[in-house]
Amino acid sequence: MNTIMKLLQANKDVADYKINIHRKETCELFYIHGKLETVRAADNCEKEVTVYVDHDGFKGDAQFYVYPSTTEEQLVCLISEAVAKAKLINNKSYSLPSAETGSFIVESNFRDYESTTLASMISDAVFEANTLSGASLNSVEIFINKHTETVVNSLGLHKTQVRYDAMVEAIPTFNGDQQSVELYEQYNFSQFDPKDITEEIAGKLQEVKLRNEAITPAFPLNCKVVLNKLELSELFWNLADDLNYASIYSHSNLRSKGDFVQKNPTGDKIGITMCGQINGCIRSAKFDSDGLSLSSIRLIENSEVVGYYGANRYGQYLKEIPTGNLRCLSVDTGSADEAAFSAEPTLEVISMSGLQVDFYSDYIGGEIRLAYYHDGNKVTAVTGVSISGSLSEVLQDIRLSQKAGIYDGYCGPEKAILDHLKIF
Amino acid sequence: MPFSEFLDSRRKDAKALVAELRKEFAYASVLGADIKSKSVRVDRNTSNISTGRDTECGFVIKLSDGKLIYEYSLDDISGDIPALAQNITNAFRLNAKLMDCAVGNLHLSDEPLVQSFCRPSDLHNYSDNQLLDVCIENRDKLLSANEYILNAFAMVSSYEVSKLFISENRELDQNFAWINGYLMAIYKETEKMVQVREGVYGDQMETILSGMPALIDKLLRKAKILTLAKPITPGVYDVITDPTITGLIAHEAFGHGVEMDQFVKDRALAKQYVGKYVASPICNMRDGAASVVSAGSYFFDDDGVLAGDTQIIKDGILVTGISDLASAAQLGTTPTGNGRRESSRRKAYSRMTNTFFEKGTDKLQDMIASIDHGYMLFETNNGMEDPKNWAIQCVAEYGIEIKDGKLTENYVSPVVMSGYVPDLLKSISMISDDFVITGAGMCGKGYKEWVRVSDGGPALKVKVKLG
Repeated sequence: MNTIMKLLQANKDVADYKINIHRKETCELFYIHGKLETVRAADNCEKEVTVYVDHDGFKGDAQFYVYPSTTEEQLVCLISEAVAKAKLINNKSYSLPSAETGSFIVESNFRDYESTTLASMISDAVFEANTLSGASLNSVEIFINKHTETVVNSLGLHKTQVRYDAMVEAIPTFNGDQQSVELYEQYNFSQFDPKDITEEIAGKLQEVKLRNEAITPAFPLNCKVVLNKLELSELFWNLADDLNYASIYSHSNLRSKGDFVQKNPTGDKIGITMCGQINGCIRSAKFDSDGLSLSSIRLIENSEVVGYYGANRYGQYLKEIPTGNLRCLSVDTGSADEAAFSAEPTLEVISMSGLQVDFYSDYIGGEIRLAYYHDGNKVTAVTGVSISGSLSEVLQDIRLSQKAGIYDGYCGPEKAILDHLKIF
Repeated sequence: MPFSEFLDSRRKDAKALVAELRKEFAYASVLGADIKSKSVRVDRNTSNISTGRDTECGFVIKLSDGKLIYEYSLDDISGDIPALAQNITNAFRLNAKLMDCAVGNLHLSDEPLVQSFCRPSDLHNYSDNQLLDVCIENRDKLLSANEYILNAFAMVSSYEVSKLFISENRELDQNFAWINGYLMAIYKETEKMVQVREGVYGDQMETILSGMPALIDKLLRKAKILTLAKPITPGVYDVITDPTITGLIAHEAFGHGVEMDQFVKDRALAKQYVGKYVASPICNMRDGAASVVSAGSYFFDDDGVLAGDTQIIKDGILVTGISDLASAAQLGTTPTGNGRRESSRRKAYSRMTNTFFEKGTDKLQDMIASIDHGYMLFETNNGMEDPKNWAIQCVAEYGIEIKDGKLTENYVSPVVMSGYVPDLLKSISMISDDFVITGAGMCGKGYKEWVRVSDGGPALKVKVKLG
């Protein structure tokens, strides 16, 4: 890195520079029908250099990658080419984050284990759950990643963080007399707890058993719909993305500060905070790719937009305080206790092809692979139905659970009750 | 457009590494990838020339001892080759418990072949300055075309692929490029704001740059339609699909289900339907990197298998699926050249390339005229596969209502198609005599492993649930 910095400093046209280094070490296991088919390991280091040039009152930038094979002579050429590109770019001026240094480790117990050993222990925890008669795990893929990320810039910023994450992709399958059915499971985590893994997979195996028993209702269902954290994550990320500085600056945002995301709400009012770290969220980070330290900012309070968030450059353009690219979403829990979810007939969505959320068209909907119809007395597994409705109507009286759950970068209500959705 | 000098400089190292690793493993290969991608983009307030997301330079070593497949991804293979081989071997010293559950019977084929491939492109004839000027010109035309445009975006993105494959018996290299040009707009004519996008795709920059201005009128028409569009009343309708929706059906509804690594895992219902009717007898479907020249085209796949052109459905009957090297070895079939990786850092899976329905004999106007009440659907938004249970979810940007055999001015958006795959494919009653492939798609397997694909075909008349 010293050579790169020395050559960048030697080029008089380079006003500023940033170097991002991302080393990713992985261990991966791929199982088919419980048998190990493929073992993968990777050790890759990506070095990306961004060159900034101040010209004619503008700031231009351009990037290039540096590989282990890149010679000093090639580096000089790459810098010159990047300078030439940056001189073509007429962007409004902005400054880079200033001198901060530090080495950080995002909390995870993965570092207590050697990666192959950890992968093997995760496998054991996954297959420990595989005890349900008629059910199986036709495919299991386990990924363990260690990320070492460094950001250096010309203003003296120099930060390094180490993050860990793991992902289990499992395909729970149930072989019934008439058919064989499956569900899709992607389970992300950054703390190893074999009990959690086994419980998660066992839960999915129970669900796939119910998918085998699921019926396509012969009668029209006219009831409220319960969504779980995966779908709620999709819904609320759409709200948050709209309030990113880049969306605001490009005029693609639907809402601004002072707007309300629910009109005349009669249910729970929505509250959203964007965070740098949430315990258990795999997207937690100490700083973003510009090196900005990540904390948290309130975006929506009692349904009203009160803040924006985003990267350094667009924050400065909007004359807002750059929050950095926050990657964790915290949504306020609501008023619905367990009793609220069983107080009236509901269709509880367990698995969808993918919830479609489109605020531009005011649409929410999608195809349901498995849902539980609670009629007040008994629970019937249902498949082969779809839902659709108006997002604004649905949000008006949404009831959010008191209980919180985590999915990927989302931490918020475990469930929500939605009205005004057509089930067909 | 020359083959990567870097990969050429590692050719000898790759051969030496394969020779070294073959001392311990029954199969050893090295895939080197040097992909340069670039994106030139402007909007109302900003401009940008950046390295694209496809950019990579690295190697993946694939090994097998007959019991397991081992893969090791790394940035470079030069230096002390015996030491590197030893490091790689050491990385795969697994505990006995893992080895005990090895799948076994994995014998990867390695038929002799030495060949170089190149698909010439004019990519290097255009400077960054020229590309930026074209983007600025198109942005300005778009911004001045209509007072309702809040922001306009113009983008040209290109990627140039060099890949080297070395095994004991094979030495292959390939070099080609692909380019996408886009125009996008944020449009607000009424209270409703819409985002619209149109693209032009190809392997020659001249085609892209000359094709971009023609996108402006299409973009404005689409913006108007989306502004006027209302929600659809859910129900089962007679539907005409435009070529992008036809491609979406080919890809999501059926294509994922014939990726043969899913056969190995018993994840695909299609496995039980080989040789049986799965679609209307007028229906033919293909996939192949060699079938057409589009975004999913290449000369050999990431397992070093030559690109194929696979007939998947013939006259309504499922003929075969598409496979990578490992799934073909486990199924005892011939690999079809569909082993693809997101990058040299990821595993190879059976993946689609260019997937499409073949054209039929009907005229589009006759197809529309045959419908009393239904919709014509346009423009892919997204889709999701369900290969085991053949459920469908395909989302179109918008639909136009058909009444009494004529397209109306009634627009609906978005439109989600759902149902059961064989019901949909068997409902195909008319197929148009034209054919379009759209080369801009990215496809994931589950929710990961993104690769470039294209899909398309003619217009289809089907009966399907819309919501």
